[in-house]
Amino acid sequence: MTNNEVAISPAENVVEQPERKEPIGIFTWLCIGWLALNALVAVLAPLLPIPDPNQMISMPGMGMSFGHLMGTDDLGRDIFGRLAWGSRISLGVGVGSMAIAFGVGGPLGMLAAYRRGKIDVLLSSAMFTFLAFPSIIAIIAVLSFWTPRSLGKIIVVIGISSIPLVYRVMRAAALSAGSKEYVTAARVLGAKDRRIIFRELLPNVAPTGLSFLLFGIATVIALEGVLAFLGLSIAPDIAPSWGNMINDARQSLNDVPQNWSLIIFPSAILCLFILALNFVGDRLRSYFDVTEVKL
Amino acid sequence: MSEVNKKVVLSAKNLEVTFRKGRQRVSAVAGISFDLYEGETLGLVGESGCGKSTTGRALMQIVPSTGGQIFVDGDELTSLNKQEARNLRRKMQMIFQDPISSLNPRRRVKDIVAEPLDCWKTAKGAERDAIVSDLLNKVGIDPAVYGNRYARQFSGGQCQRISIARSLAMRPRLLICDEVVSALDVSIQAQILNLLEDLKKEYGLTMLFIAHDLAVVKNISDRVAVMYLGKLCEIGPSNTLYDTPAHPYTDFLLGAALEADPEIEQSHTTLGGEPPSPLNPPSGCRFRTRCPSATEKCAVEEPQLRDIGDGHQVACHYPLIGANQ
Amino acid sequence: MSQDNHSNNQTITSDLLVVENLTTTFHTARGPLPAVGGVSFRLGAHETLGIVGESGSGKTVLSRTIMGLQPRSNVEVGGSVLLGGHQIVGSSDDALRDIWGTKVAMIFQDPMTSLNPVTKIGKQIGESLRVRLGMNKAEAKARAIELLTLVGIPSPAERYEAYPTQLSGGMRQRVMIAIALACNPTLLLADEPTTGLDVTIQAQILDLLDELQLTMKMSVVLVTHDLGVVATRTDRIIVMYAGRIVEMGTTKEVFRDHRMPYTRALLESTPRVSNPSHTRLQTIPGRPPNLLKLTEGCAFAPRCSRAIEKCSKERPDLEPTGTDGHYFACWNPLDASGAPVISTTGSTKEFGEDNVRS
Repeated sequence: MTNNEVAISPAENVVEQPERKEPIGIFTWLCIGWLALNALVAVLAPLLPIPDPNQMISMPGMGMSFGHLMGTDDLGRDIFGRLAWGSRISLGVGVGSMAIAFGVGGPLGMLAAYRRGKIDVLLSSAMFTFLAFPSIIAIIAVLSFWTPRSLGKIIVVIGISSIPLVYRVMRAAALSAGSKEYVTAARVLGAKDRRIIFRELLPNVAPTGLSFLLFGIATVIALEGVLAFLGLSIAPDIAPSWGNMINDARQSLNDVPQNWSLIIFPSAILCLFILALNFVGDRLRSYFDVTEVKL
Repeated sequence: MSEVNKKVVLSAKNLEVTFRKGRQRVSAVAGISFDLYEGETLGLVGESGCGKSTTGRALMQIVPSTGGQIFVDGDELTSLNKQEARNLRRKMQMIFQDPISSLNPRRRVKDIVAEPLDCWKTAKGAERDAIVSDLLNKVGIDPAVYGNRYARQFSGGQCQRISIARSLAMRPRLLICDEVVSALDVSIQAQILNLLEDLKKEYGLTMLFIAHDLAVVKNISDRVAVMYLGKLCEIGPSNTLYDTPAHPYTDFLLGAALEADPEIEQSHTTLGGEPPSPLNPPSGCRFRTRCPSATEKCAVEEPQLRDIGDGHQVACHYPLIGANQ
Repeated sequence: MSQDNHSNNQTITSDLLVVENLTTTFHTARGPLPAVGGVSFRLGAHETLGIVGESGSGKTVLSRTIMGLQPRSNVEVGGSVLLGGHQIVGSSDDALRDIWGTKVAMIFQDPMTSLNPVTKIGKQIGESLRVRLGMNKAEAKARAIELLTLVGIPSPAERYEAYPTQLSGGMRQRVMIAIALACNPTLLLADEPTTGLDVTIQAQILDLLDELQLTMKMSVVLVTHDLGVVATRTDRIIVMYAGRIVEMGTTKEVFRDHRMPYTRALLESTPRVSNPSHTRLQTIPGRPPNLLKLTEGCAFAPRCSRAIEKCSKERPDLEPTGTDGHYFACWNPLDASGAPVISTTGSTKEFGEDNVRS
């Protein structure tokens, strides 16, 4: 190499845009904080000084007061306590079923996308066939007959029925990432398949996956609400869940319309939680999207 | 540059690559043969659909060849087992057309260049870093300043430099460049071409340079091969081939090339018509449907590559020079 | 022969297009981006003008601004574009629609995405005929087939019913040209019309444009990065860098007697078929400037081997050379024969070649 070290003028030394990511806004952080708070409460509920959700400790139909932050329901149980414990069920269903769906659907989707050929054809035909069938009907059917209902059973049913969708999303993301030339380049360099999948594909598929995970959890939590309305969630006397609390409230509002805290609080918490999940999911997706042209 | 006693690094014999599109078969590469001598740059030129990129990919085994043989330093590729074939990756490397998508946007430059060293476990720790720094310096990127940055922060030309550094990490014998400057601006293109020339000398590389731009190919190549619809039309030393083309297609190609000089007289005849569909190529000589010199013989008998002197070979029944040999 | 047409057209008869101090600024999250900064030129009837530059030079933004295609939000267009008497800058959408197709038409780079894939090409050509010229279905079809013949598409009556995906790249580009010419515009803007097409097809399309220019008596603006395209197919050229014109004049003049070092650098870094193999190419060190952070002075100064102190302080205006229509913007230009003049610092630093620290 010749020694033609051309004197560099200052302009050349600067990489054009040392990356300036748009900062995660304050609102996003608030949402993340809210989500984290709920998660903490769900996990630590037995250790926290909150009223027992199943005990009928007070007068039924009480409004908000010092002793009962959100009032009591029609059986005298503390609503705040039930909400806190209810989060265990609702979040549990959300996270648990998505764990199953991603745990199975994710790797299968990526494998099919990377290998293509027979594996892809086999898996995709099966998955897309299942996708064509409205999963809600299957869920309803299974949960109607598989009694007595428990958290575990609900998680398993919803989880398994979500596998095809996660498969499709992760497969699509992996196909898109895999079509890029750096994957071909890695093969040409002599990298083994496993290395390519973990070092090249996964980091580029993970953002999509993460965002979809959050959306998925939100959807399942809402789904739990729907199931509760059909009486297919956990029975309210065994354990509270946000869904069955709303369902109970709906019924008792017919009889005792003044006790609005029965319906407002569970609905508000459910709504805000799902909204926050969706918002953070979208924000994370665009934050991690390195290919978006940022002028 | 005399190739008479030079060693053959790569040899393709009747290489064929056929793709299946449903029921149809597309013969992208329909039996081409050529040799690549040590230390030379062979340019492979042609228009879209001629099969030049597919040839490159077949040689790199990215795309499976469906016929013929490929010899690399004497070893025939299709007869190797999986491990041996993978080992060959250390000898042959490739650089691709799109510089930005050739690099994982989420990885740092240092790691990208070190990837082959990691895959093959050739170097670790300080030694590894030293090799990476050296490579980056050679391609004109300061490792101290830019080594830790992510690949997505670089421009096209810089990404191509990083790709080149990466491919040289294992000191390959053979480098295949597939349209490596086509996506770059003229001034950056010139930088990369000069860089490749310099690195070739320094690393003692043999190069196969695939491109559609005639001027670029001539600039960097010692010999040039012209392809049309999956077949090799002509092959010869760059200056000879460009000054005195033997195949009518080469002549048209050169005539159509737009030179950046208003004083040069443009060719009067442009090649008419469109390339035939590769699904149904013409019988005999594939160029005959657009060739002004075509006769019945061209439809019946496919012309083979034959020598017309000075390392110049042409596949034509009525070549523009050397007709009676 | 096409060359004759271009070499004889020296005098500008009537100015079809007058661009004065045109600026296009994009308001981005990171600040204003002056993609085009003060461009002025004139184009006469029956002339072909080439606008040449690399990426980031502003040539495509310029052509779109001339056409009036810039969106209104986040884009600020200043200056004036007078097309056959119509002012484009600040014009309302209705006024623009009146002249689009009839006075000025544009063809784009990628014919694959410029044509509607789900509509037959005959219908796409006929659309402007029916809307702008008020033809009925039969008339439009007849004229469309005429146009398809004019642009050299074989079996035009059959192709009338074809979808764009059934045609090759070259054919699609011809269809685009047919659509553009349907209402007989007086000015055709062609933005990289042959980039991405094969060399032989490129030659065909450029020949076609030459022919059509004669028969339809149009002016053509050819925007491209390819010096080979402008060399033989244009009467005059404009060289752009960082959103401004750095040199302009008749094609022969600019190629033969350029003054601005960037023009010379561009010419010398282009490989040529006529040069022997392994000719060392001259390179320009560094990279095009970041338009968001333009400093005072000439935008090319950081990369210019002939830069003097004045270059980084004050931006040079376009100065005439004396030869008809030849202007350049440089404080330390090359001398009349094109050979580098000794710069005032007393050294002729060679253009930096390899080992560019970029």
